[in-house]
Amino acid sequence: MEGNGFPMRVAYYKGCLASLSAKELDSSTQALAPKVGLELVELESVTCCGAGDIHEAEPDYYLHLNARILAYAEATGADTLMTVCNVCTLNLRQANWMLKKDEALLERVNKNLRTVGVPSYSGSVEVKHLLWLIAEGEGYELLKVAAHKGLKGLKVAPFYGCQILRPSKLLGFEDPDRPWSLEAIITACGGEPIDYPAKIKCCGFPIIQAREETALGELIQPIEQAMEAGADVMVTPCPLCHLSLDAWQSKLKKATGRDFAMPILHLSQLIGVAAGLEDSELKFKRHVVSVKPMLEKLAT
Amino acid sequence: MSEAAVHTEAATMQVRLKIWRFDSETGERALRDYEIDAPEWSCLLDVLDIIKDRVDGTLAYRKSCRMMICGSCGMRMDGAAVLACKERMKPIVDSGHVPVISAMGNLPILKDLVVDMEPFWSKMRAMKPWLQPGYEEPPARERLASQEQMNVIHKEALCINCGCCVSECNSMESDPDFLGPAALAKGMRFVGDARDGAEIERLEAYNSEHGIWDCTRCYFCTERCPKGVDPRDAIAKLGAESIKHGIDRDMGAKHAKWFVTSAKTTGWLRETELVPKTQGVVSAIKEVKFAMGLARRGKVPPPFPPHVAEGVGESRALYDLVSEQGRDGAAGIVQGERALARIEHTDEGGARRDAPEITPGETPPHAEG
Repeated sequence: MEGNGFPMRVAYYKGCLASLSAKELDSSTQALAPKVGLELVELESVTCCGAGDIHEAEPDYYLHLNARILAYAEATGADTLMTVCNVCTLNLRQANWMLKKDEALLERVNKNLRTVGVPSYSGSVEVKHLLWLIAEGEGYELLKVAAHKGLKGLKVAPFYGCQILRPSKLLGFEDPDRPWSLEAIITACGGEPIDYPAKIKCCGFPIIQAREETALGELIQPIEQAMEAGADVMVTPCPLCHLSLDAWQSKLKKATGRDFAMPILHLSQLIGVAAGLEDSELKFKRHVVSVKPMLEKLAT
Repeated sequence: MSEAAVHTEAATMQVRLKIWRFDSETGERALRDYEIDAPEWSCLLDVLDIIKDRVDGTLAYRKSCRMMICGSCGMRMDGAAVLACKERMKPIVDSGHVPVISAMGNLPILKDLVVDMEPFWSKMRAMKPWLQPGYEEPPARERLASQEQMNVIHKEALCINCGCCVSECNSMESDPDFLGPAALAKGMRFVGDARDGAEIERLEAYNSEHGIWDCTRCYFCTERCPKGVDPRDAIAKLGAESIKHGIDRDMGAKHAKWFVTSAKTTGWLRETELVPKTQGVVSAIKEVKFAMGLARRGKVPPPFPPHVAEGVGESRALYDLVSEQGRDGAAGIVQGERALARIEHTDEGGARRDAPEITPGETPPHAEG
């Protein structure tokens, strides 16, 4: 077992979305972290993980890019690299797994890293999503204290997305068919978790530009089911799912004539509301679907 | 019990399960409860055999080899596709959980647990799943393939055509014409075969509208495959091979290539330029209204000045270095693929079917008719 006592110092990998179009994910994560015992060491000199696309277009480059991120995470002295995105989590864990299991591969990649001036990677880092750090153990205990304002029984539909559950041999935090972590967090925050079958299915985002119709056919399932199950709001640990569920809802409206008006929250925002974060940290104005109905419900 | 019986009869357990029965002729469907005694070593298929033998002879399901090689007994347990002959019942019985058995998804149900495999086979046929060596007459001497060459397609060759991957393919649910994980994995089995001479024609065909780039990367196929084929990995390799050979006109390929360009120029994804780079400028203009809506919420970061990652020079240098080393195409994934195939066969991690609670709402998706 690694030393994972709280407060915990972790290397923080933001990824593209939290750096750019989902800045609200970054600001809420940064504000929430100290309240749940996480000291974030932000990685400055890192790039995109490739989002599965570089893995598909230039697989060897994908591996090197991720090895470089892992090497800089290791250089901080932290033994955990914290992610806030499903896709980053899978890409980094997959690369980490390959490098840890194959000495010859690690040696070849390290030689290339050193050639371009990047420190070698020894394989000591574990990649973990924020969700996993606070869904159990000490992190969970701290979360319960931090979420002092509660959610007044708000009905929250957890949406896991794909790449934090599958392939489970690479992710492995929880049963991919019966995950429980988001439900545990919703409950700790004073909300009521809503159950529905599509919570573990795909939001369609990876093909939303190349195959919009197919993607929308996937996207509608969780939103429709969450609404029918009586959810006030949906929460997701992935900014790509967030973008799809939030920003592309208008396209569902256009395609089906139904206005779902379902507010979509990042995980850090949902906890942030229960922990009393400021508006400037939650940045709800950056959402496409208004979260006002939820805030009004909480204000009564 | 006689002494002889003690030595020959295994201990028994009481098994409870529910089965979604379905009759496509009448459209009648019902969730029926069953409770039987079965030997402790029983798998799901043994339990179904006992039910059919002693309780209800009208129960329909497919089976043949009983040893995970014929691929006949694919079905769903608690909404997840499994091979009935692979699932041990003892841990489930011990947990007190009552599993729900239903037919596989994404294929029409004929009766109870039997699906019509014709859509599956027609996609398989579309892959031209035979060697096309590119010569009319056999050469004078036998052509030998090295172990190293065959390792490239080892795991893809393990497929037993059971359909468990297809059952839960999220893209196929939305686009029934998607070639899907089983057929595409079969495609990689031939594209990667050193003896095949039709690689380019195959890649061209697999790059069709319902081909490689229709995959939404939900990883259900990889999760469900009982043989460690890892179809998603096979699809990624077909993508990598396509791009290597310049077969990149599909929007999916352009999308993937833009990530490479982004990583080596600014380090971070150049989100705002992704739409025109993927869809072309004309389509992108049609999206202007949608994009303006996003821009008002800060979802369209201005491309200028670019958001450049510190040390992006290293990222570009890595790209150049790796390109020189020539592991482009599927060769760049192979080293991980072999390792990944190995873990697929261990019992570490993975789904547990003995958990007491199930995700509610599972019904055979095509049962509504």
